[in-house]
Amino acid sequence: MSKTIPPSCPEPETGQKYWRSLSHLADTPEFRQWVEREFPSGASELSDPVTRRHFVKIMSASFLLAGFGLSGCRRPEEKILPFGKAPENYIHGAPQFFATAMPTRGSAIPLVVKSNDGRPTKIEGNALHPDSNGASDHYAQASILNVYDPDRAMRFVRNGNIVKREAALDFLGELSKKSQADGGQGLCFLLERSSSPSRARLRKLISDKFPKARWFVYEPVDFDVHRQAASVAFGKSAKPYFKFDEAKAIVSLDCDFIGGEEDAYLHIRRFTKGRKIEKPTDAVNRLYAVEALFTLTGANADHRLRLPSSAVELAVKLLGTKISWQFAPEVGPRQLDDEKASEWISKCAEDLLKNRGRSLVIAGHRQPQSVHLMVHAINAALGNIGKTVVFLDAPEAKEETIADLAQALNSGQVETLVMLGGNPVYNAPADLSWARAQRKAKTIVRLGYYEDETAEFCDWHLPLAHYLESWGDARTADGTLVPVQPLIEPLFGGISELEVLARIGGLEKVKPYDIVRETYGGIAGDGEDNWKRFLHDGFLPGSAAKPVEVQFNANAAATVIGAAKPVAASTKDTLEVVFHRNYKVDDGRYNNNGWLQELPDPITKLVWENVILLSPKTAKDLRLDVRNNENNKLYVPLVRIEFDGREIVGPVWVQPGQADNVVGLALGYGREKTGRVGRGSGYDAYRLRTTKALHFAGGAKLTPTGQTHQLATTQDHGAMEGRPIIREANLEQFQKNPRFARAMDLEKPPVVSPLYSNPLDKLKEKGLHQWGMSIDLNSCVGCSACMLACQSENNVPIVGKDQVTRNREMHWIRIDRYFTGSPEDPQMITQPMLCQHCEAAPCENVCPVNATSHDEEGLNVMTYNRCVGTRYCSNNCPYKVRRFNFFDYNKLPLDKLVGPVYNTPLAHATDGEWDLVRWFKNPDQGFRPADEWELLKLVKNPDVTVRMRGVMEKCSLCLQRIEQAKIAQKVKAGPSGDIKLKESEGTVPQTACQQACPAEAIVFGDVSDAESRVSKLKALERDYTVLDFLLTKPRTTYLARVRNPNPAMPDYQEWPLSTKEFTEQNGNPFEHHEGGHGAGHDEPHASGKPESAGKGAD
Amino acid sequence: MAEAVIASSLKLQPPPPELARQPLVSNQRPIGWISDAVAGVAEGKTPKWWWYAFIPSVLMLTMLGAMILYLMSKGVGIWGLGQPIMWGWAIINFVWWIGIGHAGTLISAILFLLRQRWRTAVNRAAEAMTIFAVMCAGIFPLIHIGRIWFGWWLLPLPNANSIWPQFRSPLMWDVFAVSTYFTVSVLFWYMGLIPDLAVMRDRARTKLRKCAYGLFALGWTGSNRHWSNYERAYLILAGLSTPLVLSVHSIVSLDFSVSQLPGWHTTIFPPYFVAGAIFSGFGMVLTLLIPLRKVCKLEDVITVRHVELMCKVTLATGSIVGYAYAMEFFIAWYSGNPYERFTFINRAFGPYGWAYWIMISCNVLTPQFFWFKRIRTNMLIVFILSIFVNIGMWFERFVIVVTSLHREFLPSNWSYYSPTWVDVCTYLGTFGLFFTFFLLFIRFVPLIAIAEVKAVTPQADPHHPLGGAKEGGHP
Repeated sequence: MSKTIPPSCPEPETGQKYWRSLSHLADTPEFRQWVEREFPSGASELSDPVTRRHFVKIMSASFLLAGFGLSGCRRPEEKILPFGKAPENYIHGAPQFFATAMPTRGSAIPLVVKSNDGRPTKIEGNALHPDSNGASDHYAQASILNVYDPDRAMRFVRNGNIVKREAALDFLGELSKKSQADGGQGLCFLLERSSSPSRARLRKLISDKFPKARWFVYEPVDFDVHRQAASVAFGKSAKPYFKFDEAKAIVSLDCDFIGGEEDAYLHIRRFTKGRKIEKPTDAVNRLYAVEALFTLTGANADHRLRLPSSAVELAVKLLGTKISWQFAPEVGPRQLDDEKASEWISKCAEDLLKNRGRSLVIAGHRQPQSVHLMVHAINAALGNIGKTVVFLDAPEAKEETIADLAQALNSGQVETLVMLGGNPVYNAPADLSWARAQRKAKTIVRLGYYEDETAEFCDWHLPLAHYLESWGDARTADGTLVPVQPLIEPLFGGISELEVLARIGGLEKVKPYDIVRETYGGIAGDGEDNWKRFLHDGFLPGSAAKPVEVQFNANAAATVIGAAKPVAASTKDTLEVVFHRNYKVDDGRYNNNGWLQELPDPITKLVWENVILLSPKTAKDLRLDVRNNENNKLYVPLVRIEFDGREIVGPVWVQPGQADNVVGLALGYGREKTGRVGRGSGYDAYRLRTTKALHFAGGAKLTPTGQTHQLATTQDHGAMEGRPIIREANLEQFQKNPRFARAMDLEKPPVVSPLYSNPLDKLKEKGLHQWGMSIDLNSCVGCSACMLACQSENNVPIVGKDQVTRNREMHWIRIDRYFTGSPEDPQMITQPMLCQHCEAAPCENVCPVNATSHDEEGLNVMTYNRCVGTRYCSNNCPYKVRRFNFFDYNKLPLDKLVGPVYNTPLAHATDGEWDLVRWFKNPDQGFRPADEWELLKLVKNPDVTVRMRGVMEKCSLCLQRIEQAKIAQKVKAGPSGDIKLKESEGTVPQTACQQACPAEAIVFGDVSDAESRVSKLKALERDYTVLDFLLTKPRTTYLARVRNPNPAMPDYQEWPLSTKEFTEQNGNPFEHHEGGHGAGHDEPHASGKPESAGKGAD
Repeated sequence: MAEAVIASSLKLQPPPPELARQPLVSNQRPIGWISDAVAGVAEGKTPKWWWYAFIPSVLMLTMLGAMILYLMSKGVGIWGLGQPIMWGWAIINFVWWIGIGHAGTLISAILFLLRQRWRTAVNRAAEAMTIFAVMCAGIFPLIHIGRIWFGWWLLPLPNANSIWPQFRSPLMWDVFAVSTYFTVSVLFWYMGLIPDLAVMRDRARTKLRKCAYGLFALGWTGSNRHWSNYERAYLILAGLSTPLVLSVHSIVSLDFSVSQLPGWHTTIFPPYFVAGAIFSGFGMVLTLLIPLRKVCKLEDVITVRHVELMCKVTLATGSIVGYAYAMEFFIAWYSGNPYERFTFINRAFGPYGWAYWIMISCNVLTPQFFWFKRIRTNMLIVFILSIFVNIGMWFERFVIVVTSLHREFLPSNWSYYSPTWVDVCTYLGTFGLFFTFFLLFIRFVPLIAIAEVKAVTPQADPHHPLGGAKEGGHP
């Protein structure tokens, strides 16, 4: 996507642009009212207490008309500028791209969103943004599905009755008038965190107007501790910004900066920069991780120390002492008693000292402020501040906590409670008894995306608009201002936070567009071109926050640290509970998002629910019989966790590498009131979470209930069995033997001369390009953003938990995860696995109907139309990357996802109509209820076939993108005939997975172009082919992984454990070979043979 | 009597009694008796046992229909398949039924060419079994595909897009092999039936029967010219069928050995599959004929000697199969390929070890009992052992299909397969199909080749004391 300058707008900026009727032209008050009321005929029916289904029918029907018959009506009325194409050049069917941003808690992800005929279909990162490489994360990729969620809040509700939108808006007006009169007495706002300057501005305006109004903020998973701690440590409100790429040694203290922290996608980019090596002499960074649960950060660490979360504090103290910080906090009663751990930290400290100014220590959001302060002290002592971590000016927030609000509610001080987002009835700390407390407010107004648990306890419920439906603004991690542009009119008339605030504040301008523009004017000055440029580029250049000069304030820090109470060590009877953000549903906000629900957890590979995580030793101590029979029927015991007088029941999962006597409880599941997708998934960990124990606490008790529960996983087997599938070496080995990856090749069959030449070799000559892919396993951290990007781009359906237990998930790209070593301290490695596009593809010659074949550009293509579904291709695919649509998953009703979907259309009815008749009337809709169908079909990418039942499907290397690029090039070339896509000209497209990958681990391109990045990567010494000996000649190759362990560390392993396993079985491939040998023909005969013979004989 | 005839024609001393061949029709039955006994099964009042067998069979056939309807309306997901086990019971059943379908043609064609006269007593029923077994087998490849309604795309039909089937695919070869085999088997069977249908026509008492049999007897009169043409055609068809017996299962085995999956990619598959097919086919013939000779009172035609001979074939082929199992292990070790090695160790000691050991005990150990004459002549034990052979051969296909797929190259794909109730009911349903047809066959068609049996008995000689129409009365 090249940066193009937006054309100037040809239309005059004043006056009416369009009129729809004479009355519009006349601009009568009646007409204004008519415009206000969106669905005049249907709206009248909304006032009678009809069922939700009836309502939905009307909404769907209206939407159908509005969305298709009059597609123009759905476009936002305000001018938004497309990315790269001007609106006047709109071509029906050609997608447009708009720059926007996805607001996160304290940050935002800059995005470019694809719009097909007025409906957003695909989210991508904004590569123009100064702090982005165009990548995004899995939440951003999946958030588009929320727009089309048939269970989202669609109506204005007062006390359970549907009201007109105007009535709700009138109420907000009255509230404003009332507050005007009493200065906001009893008016309380409960907000979520936001980086929006507009919201901050409105808040200030309202505070000025209604000085008595009170502001509260609650986030169940709050990353503000980083800012809070920095503010204490440095005496000014500042937010740390981590530069992992500058650091040579990184110590992560219970900080999952690759997975569970905010802006993980940025951290991944910066961290993997330090791991991209081309030559053996290149420097590699080193990551040390101290953590309780096994996280992606731990998985990517060179050294990992597992400690209970409560012991991290002790580890930090020890670390600080070892690097001799100018700081002597009291040594508490509890010491880090484990000798090995102490040694680990000492050696780690030595490495840090060697890398003064080039090291980085970070603490995670679950750790208390005291730990963060000590970390700042360490970074200050190491001279890292200003180098690997900078502090950005952050506005100081003057808000109270949810506990304060509960107190205010209980003491009757709250008259009107305005909740903007959030779901406190579900996720507020359990000791606040929130539902009861909330009811003590006289009037409760809530703006929510779902009619969820909290909605039940509200007087007014207003539907929240999705960020792709409403105007807004935000600041990204580096402080750059980004616009949040809508791509579609709110589907169900939802309103945004800004509008609600503006209406309550009684402001003149209540349209979010005007608010955002005014805020922007205040920051960057007014001016049409200026504004357009902002919208076009998706950011305001030069608006990044300036790093502030900071001085570590040891006294202030010491006070906080001294006040911190140590947590007692945990035992098997007093377990430590750790509440963690779920990698898939976050704090519960994505509970009804099917893509995220079906995304396998990067560590456990479980889908559709959360589990109670235990270490293998703890499970054994507790005598839990956790069988994993690898027989698809993963039955695990259900256990009860008692903590602080509360209890929950959930399934147990034994997680290798977890700290002993620690129980990991993922938040976000077990919702009582959610949509069709999230219903019945997991247990609710919030029930144990109290204000005293928000993140971790000791003293929990676990008792088996005697029942079992079935789990669904996408990968049963976690061991690599000594096979050279993921190849890795330590840095020294790589330096000694740069071709180590090739040395691990198995003996290839001696093909002297083929019986007949591969017809594809002739075909290749015809191809203008030869596509290929290179995946760098050293960069891949397993974040899984690629999986969702692919799902979104390629219309990959979800199948539901029941079908996953039958191994029928449909992801075209998956992340294989292997553990090696002992279950206590394993190493984890990940490998993205997708169609390898073999040149001698075994799938092709076994298809009896020629449905899968090769094209001249080296792609293994699927002709869905031709496929009859013998599934032979899948059986013959050694990588098993083909997916079969066993049922019509695209037409599967969402409420059928939970259980067996075995009812036949011959004897089943949907919406009171025989399924066969429905099918006859509309074969596409299948057996989906109308409301689901009308919405969920909109999320589909029109450039990719939606596959039906009985058809095999697989990765096409985003063929549609390649073809679009080719067509564009042909148009551009005209008579010149220069139709070749060239990377040097930026015309080679990116695949969806590549585009989303924050680590830039996936590189796609033309392998026939020697200058292309993919060609250069494939020429590297680390390049190898998975299952090379089959001679399938895949176009996708991998770059072997290089670990960088510290030989001084107590847990130093001379070999990566997987390589060790391999050499134990096959002999050491590096022993007899120095330098350039190819396929490694003689290894099996050298040292491997006698042992393997013994094995074969038994 | 028989000795006398041989002695007079060959002028040789009769062999000592212990070396004398047992007569093919025992108890010195007159020639007319043969016609009466065989045709009587199809002519008399429907026996009760027939109804007891037929009604459950039809019910099971109905179940098969229901399962197929269900499958077509819903999709193959109702079976226990999933990644990486994309072929399950359907393909196992296909190969199993096809294997069973080998005995009939082998008996009627190869044994005919080898002048094995004992074949005449069993060939008709065995051939019928073949045809019905191939029908059962043919159902599975058709219904196991994802889009059943496009099954005809496997045929090389000219079309506007000039898309042809993929001739490199073994599934394509299957289409040709199985359909050819079925066609030739039906022709061969019908060919052999013509003289007997004429017998039935001539014996018929009702007009309807006369017309029906008359229609299918194609005007057979038993003239010398008819017999001459018949014998020639029979020989040609036998010659045609013989390579097919070997080719069908070889080609079915290529479905596996052409792939590159360890456990499938094996060069010994074609001969090993053919041996296994004959093994299972004879197992099934034994299973069917032992009770049949009893209830139809045909012990004099299908004698203990017949059963014994078939036991010997079973023993021979079973031992070949056992040798093949051993060879697979040897090659897995000898190849030095760790993936291959793993597959075979996993086969025997992995999660599906139970299936492997069922297969070994049924296929390798069971036939070893047939070394003993006492066992070969004990009908009950032979019947029970023949059922074990059938079970073992089903498990052989299960082991090949499922255990090779469930743990292959990348451990991340490893999984476990279990069938669903639909899989089981579909399989049972094919028994309904098989037995419905087989029972109808028993009731309406002479289940033993009357003419051929007569031809190989000494009584067929008009000068024989029991020969001709002197006794028995009917032709």
